[in-house]
Amino acid sequence: MKAIKLAFPIVLLIISGIFLIASFNVPKANLGNPNGPLYFPIGLSALMLIFCIGYFFQELKNLQKEDDYIRLLIAGRTPKLIIVTVLLGIGYAFIFEQTGFLIATILFLGALLFFINGVKKWKANIIVSLCFSFITWYAFSQLLGVSLP
Amino acid sequence: MKKLSVLLLVVLLLSACSVGNSGANKEFPTKNLELIAPASPGGGWDLTARSMQKAMRDNDLVDKNINVVNKPGGGGETGWKYLKSKDSHHLAINSSLVLTNELLGQSDLSYEDFTPIATLATEWQALAVPVDSEYESATELMEQLESDPKSVKIGVGPGLGNDDHLSIVQAAGEYGVDPAQLNFLVYEGGGDVVTALLGGHVDAVTTSLSEVKDQHLAGKLKILAVSSEERLEDLDEVPTWKEEGVDMVFPHWRGIMGPPDMTEEEIAYWDEKIKEMVKTEDWQKLVKNNNWEDFYKDSEESKKFMKEQHELYEKLVNDSGLVK
Amino acid sequence: MDINSFINGFMTSLEPINIMWVIIGGILGTVVGMLPGLGPATAVAVLIPVTFGMEPVSAIILMAAIYYGAMYGGSRSSILLNTPGDGSAIAATFDGYPMARKGQAGQALAISAVASFIGGIMAVIGFIFLAMPLADFALKFGPAEYFLLMLLTLSAIVSLSLGRMVKGFIAMLLGLLLSTVGIDTQTGVYRFTMGVPHLSDGIDFLIVIIGVYAIGEVLYNFLTIDHEKKEKKEVGKIWFTKEQWKRSKWPILRSGPLGFIIGVLPGAGGSIASMISYSTEKQISKKPEEFGEGAVEGLAAPESANNAASVGAMIPLLTMGIPGSGTTAVMLGALIMLGLRPGPLLFENQPEIAWTLINSMFLGNIALVIVNILLVGLLIKILDTPAKVLYPIIVLLAFIGTYTLSYNVIDFFLLLIFGVFGLFMKVFDFPIAPLVLALIVGADMEQNFRKALLSSNGSLDIFVSTPVSIGLVILTLISLFYPLVIKAFKKKKSNNLDQSSTP
Repeated sequence: MKAIKLAFPIVLLIISGIFLIASFNVPKANLGNPNGPLYFPIGLSALMLIFCIGYFFQELKNLQKEDDYIRLLIAGRTPKLIIVTVLLGIGYAFIFEQTGFLIATILFLGALLFFINGVKKWKANIIVSLCFSFITWYAFSQLLGVSLP
Repeated sequence: MKKLSVLLLVVLLLSACSVGNSGANKEFPTKNLELIAPASPGGGWDLTARSMQKAMRDNDLVDKNINVVNKPGGGGETGWKYLKSKDSHHLAINSSLVLTNELLGQSDLSYEDFTPIATLATEWQALAVPVDSEYESATELMEQLESDPKSVKIGVGPGLGNDDHLSIVQAAGEYGVDPAQLNFLVYEGGGDVVTALLGGHVDAVTTSLSEVKDQHLAGKLKILAVSSEERLEDLDEVPTWKEEGVDMVFPHWRGIMGPPDMTEEEIAYWDEKIKEMVKTEDWQKLVKNNNWEDFYKDSEESKKFMKEQHELYEKLVNDSGLVK
Repeated sequence: MDINSFINGFMTSLEPINIMWVIIGGILGTVVGMLPGLGPATAVAVLIPVTFGMEPVSAIILMAAIYYGAMYGGSRSSILLNTPGDGSAIAATFDGYPMARKGQAGQALAISAVASFIGGIMAVIGFIFLAMPLADFALKFGPAEYFLLMLLTLSAIVSLSLGRMVKGFIAMLLGLLLSTVGIDTQTGVYRFTMGVPHLSDGIDFLIVIIGVYAIGEVLYNFLTIDHEKKEKKEVGKIWFTKEQWKRSKWPILRSGPLGFIIGVLPGAGGSIASMISYSTEKQISKKPEEFGEGAVEGLAAPESANNAASVGAMIPLLTMGIPGSGTTAVMLGALIMLGLRPGPLLFENQPEIAWTLINSMFLGNIALVIVNILLVGLLIKILDTPAKVLYPIIVLLAFIGTYTLSYNVIDFFLLLIFGVFGLFMKVFDFPIAPLVLALIVGADMEQNFRKALLSSNGSLDIFVSTPVSIGLVILTLISLFYPLVIKAFKKKKSNNLDQSSTP
């Protein structure tokens, strides 16, 4: 709980740190003011770093306070749901262009439904994933002429 | 029963997807053709591709289906990279960006990685100033730039290294002004450049003729020079750069190219089809509506043209000061 | 204004075929706009091939109807699911979603349709009488004025973060930083692209919207997915009460003209219009503390403004041939293909086309308000869909919407990253709007700032050199300090000291 509470401020600190370092490494411009592209990112990331440090101490001060949402985040099957959804999304990205829109979408939506809605309602899951995939495929690629793989 | 019908549906769907790969025929094309627009729907390249599609489809030029695929990103880079990995059933729209991306060090793709198929059409570049500008001619503006290159705010868009920018780079270079010293304000696109000029926020712009032509005819701004070889029909009071003492003809062309290693038969096939395509009424109408001009070159001529353009752009990019 | 052309245009717009296009376009726009991740620009762009071969007049009527139809539709998903489909629909989440959670989904949908309608009609009337002078006014906006307008928007964002200022600033700064990814327009330098050519065009703010709102919202709901199972959600009445109307009346009437004028400025558009109208209403409201908790006027005002802005955006397009937004840019390209070139000559050479379009907007708005009110009953049924089926579908729509942005699966990874980030922002009680809105205005803000300094040779005087810029500076200052002053005043009054968690 405490670790998670501090994790987000630390992630933000790291993001602003990376941006700050990367800002100094932005190539200089060959035309006009050579430092032109640098000022804005450097100023912003430095400012963000300052605010993140402030935020970090704010959280540190409130470390003992209970937080319902963070408790919920790590309770029950929530973490599993989140991680599996993200992993399925990554899988979808990988198979999307290989297998084509229709198959990838049926698999993705089906898997999501089975996982979230439960195996027990497998009939509804299959029907929804087939129908919905087909409808979206038809609407986008046939009616609207969007080029889907 | 429900189970069975679901299963049936799956089988049907799967088989529907695999049709099209079967029935191989020796004659090119053996499957559906693909036109790659390296831009989002609605952009210039997308509209070019879709017009080609329409012209070919409505006039029954090709027996196979022809699809437009959008692959936007990186100033054409994403689309052309995609083309490079495909076979000869795929073609992509191109423009001078296929040269400048590499010259500016923004891409590893070279124009030589692709097979030129045709050059389709061109626009001309225009130099325009506000209607109450102190500059009456392109020569006067150039003289001013010669005495102080920083004194004129020049609007261009959508980025440095594009034709808007490089056309004035060439003009300045020919006149003897160092283009790297010029004062550019870069806007998001042609429309924004014109707004800035109309509002008096810049002193001059270089942009595609079509962006400023109507404004000129309506008396909202003045076009001082166009980059064509000869004066244009409906703008015959506007001189060319050549007449203003700057030896430059600057086309802002669009073409089409294929993946590397196409066979001679495949190239010949496309040469024939596109030669017919540019003659169709549909295409001619599009060229007219867009204020373009016919600039058709077949694959052989395009190859030569690309080489010349590459040399020219290499010089321009170096002169511009963008690359050191 | 030219009475003859106006009447001719009116007659043309009444031709059955044109009425049909208005209605088809409006409904299509509403439907597409409702899907998370599909906004007006995508809707118009994918439908361009449909307009090939149409009469130019019908094509422009159809595309305009899709445009403002999507404006109507965009707020539906904001209200019901907290997942806006476009920047201009973000402000509708602030109070629309809380209203839906309080069981007032029907009222929220109804008032937003009516607010959109009134805003749209006011803007069309404005269009008829003020198109030319406003077009000239818009030209006065140079880089300095645009920068100040963006700054005003940011100050409106800040006022949204009252009570959690540090978090609001972090979100805003991150949004601004993300907006610097890609090619730096002024110099052609690549910033933070990490060698990925796809990133050189920058991070599309729509991906971030879909990510943090749609995906983030679904992930966030996983927190409670197994808890609130049986309880039947109340959807409430499908028409707003007299009391609600009384509260919304003036905000709607004020926001219409405001949105219209901001919409006329090329580059500003619906996001800025709805944001500024929201924060204005919040600041002049007698009950600012209700904003964000489901205040009906907090929904009505931005809805009126963004619809008016979409009509305003047609002014630079038609009078100057200059597209002021992504959507109008797409429309311009399509119209040119059809041989119609909007611009200074349009009103001279083909006035009936312009006037037909304007009159069709009247009809379109009337048709849309009817359609949208009829849809209310149907739409609130979405809330009856079991969450466990609805969420996977939202996730899928988010992916598809993302794919239509640039046809590249790299965006799927960005989508997931922002989705997870959105989840954590919600869990840690960060305001999300500052991130997205800062990303939307950030790039233009920086570029305009630098352009302004380039054209003034580095002197800051340019930011107070014209009446417009001085006006904007004053508005920004008011917007920044007014809430602080009010707050300090109230604090003193109630002597309540333990509220001082705000640094």
